[in-house]
Amino acid sequence: LSHSGGTGALAQWVLVELQGEVEPRQSRDLAGSLLGDLHYTCEGIPVLIVGHHILYGKVVQLEKPFAVLVKQGGAPQPSPPGPHGHYTVTALIKTKLLFKTRPKPIITHVPKKV
Amino acid sequence: SLVIRGEKDEHAVLCSKNKTYDMKIADTSNMLLFVPGCKTPEELNADPSSCNIIHSQIAGFAKNYWELRRCRPKLKKLRKLLMEDPYEGPDSRKDQTSTFSKYTTEDLLSLIQASEEEILHQLQVIDACKIEGYWRILDFDYEMKLLNHVTQLIDSESWPLSKVPLCACLEELGSLEPREMIEHILLSYGRKYVDDAGEVFFEMREDKICRAIAQMLLQNAVKFNLSEFEEVWQQSVPEGMTTRLDQLQGLALVDKSSRPETIFLLKVEDLPEDNQERFNSLFGIREKWTEVDITPYIQDLCAEKQTVGALLTKYARSSMLNGVKVYNSRRPTS
Repeated sequence: LSHSGGTGALAQWVLVELQGEVEPRQSRDLAGSLLGDLHYTCEGIPVLIVGHHILYGKVVQLEKPFAVLVKQGGAPQPSPPGPHGHYTVTALIKTKLLFKTRPKPIITHVPKKV
Repeated sequence: SLVIRGEKDEHAVLCSKNKTYDMKIADTSNMLLFVPGCKTPEELNADPSSCNIIHSQIAGFAKNYWELRRCRPKLKKLRKLLMEDPYEGPDSRKDQTSTFSKYTTEDLLSLIQASEEEILHQLQVIDACKIEGYWRILDFDYEMKLLNHVTQLIDSESWPLSKVPLCACLEELGSLEPREMIEHILLSYGRKYVDDAGEVFFEMREDKICRAIAQMLLQNAVKFNLSEFEEVWQQSVPEGMTTRLDQLQGLALVDKSSRPETIFLLKVEDLPEDNQERFNSLFGIREKWTEVDITPYIQDLCAEKQTVGALLTKYARSSMLNGVKVYNSRRPTS
């Protein structure tokens, strides 16, 4: 494993952790689809709006940061002993946005009780 | 940089320059999405111009990740590889054949699941030497032959054991054995130093020499009468050296329950590397162990801040026997 590129510090990414699965609507691919909108409240609480649901989360500093690895090359045939196959560290993740509360549906019109 | 090491049948480890880590896959039922350039609240507050919508792409997602846990370097294999073809001396016909079971530093780096520093350190610990570019371990009989040349010379020249001159050794013994081998045996069994005049001397290591001679005696039989052994052993070591049973920790075990007491060869390096397998093996050899007896055989299993006591708590059960605390297997005896 090695550093990617030589220009300056490693990229810092953020992890967004969601409970459960994310399904694209209308049987589209996940790739290229919009997930949702991320906001932060004045107090710094992350809020994710996915479809018609709203999720509240929290910012967590990771005790054990992650490294994002991208595999490069690697010999398809058996080769003599020695490193073959290479992972490059693309980014580091030190922060995550954890959403583990139940998503609340956003109801725009609440009929009044008669 | 870091390296992942392991053969197809081994669990992968990750190595830095001087540390080794077990690699495990951790699963999560949550979805982990990676967002490059996503800003945290602090970063946004610090940049007042960013009150517009920022279009970010999720680079990908994962449901599992690799976890690292620092572990003991897996060095037993190093000894095993080098023992495939121990060096028996320049006269041995074996060496002229293929270089099949011979390993360079590069070979070892790709076969041993440990960091480079840990591997090089272990090579020193096991007294390996580089011969024609390959790391070799000496055949024990050849090693004893070399040691004997040196101790005999020390005796005939009446040199003090703490001041054995390198030059004189090379001169006197150079006709019998390769100079590199003479120097190697002095380095293995002595501590090198330079005096004020710049001459190289060795302070011979009494404990290590006595231990090697004990091994030479013990390897010829299943077990020995303890008192007979102690007598022969003392007579076999160089003049001026004193034998003590504590020199044999991790090499031999005394059976105090037999009448008469006996001693037999049990080398810690011949035992399994895995913790549970090591304890199974030890309890197979002897049902109950005192802490004093078992410690030399489990000391090397201790992780960075682990004690022998912690290992015993985890892998053994204790009880009292004749007023002494002993440890036995946690498994039911068959």
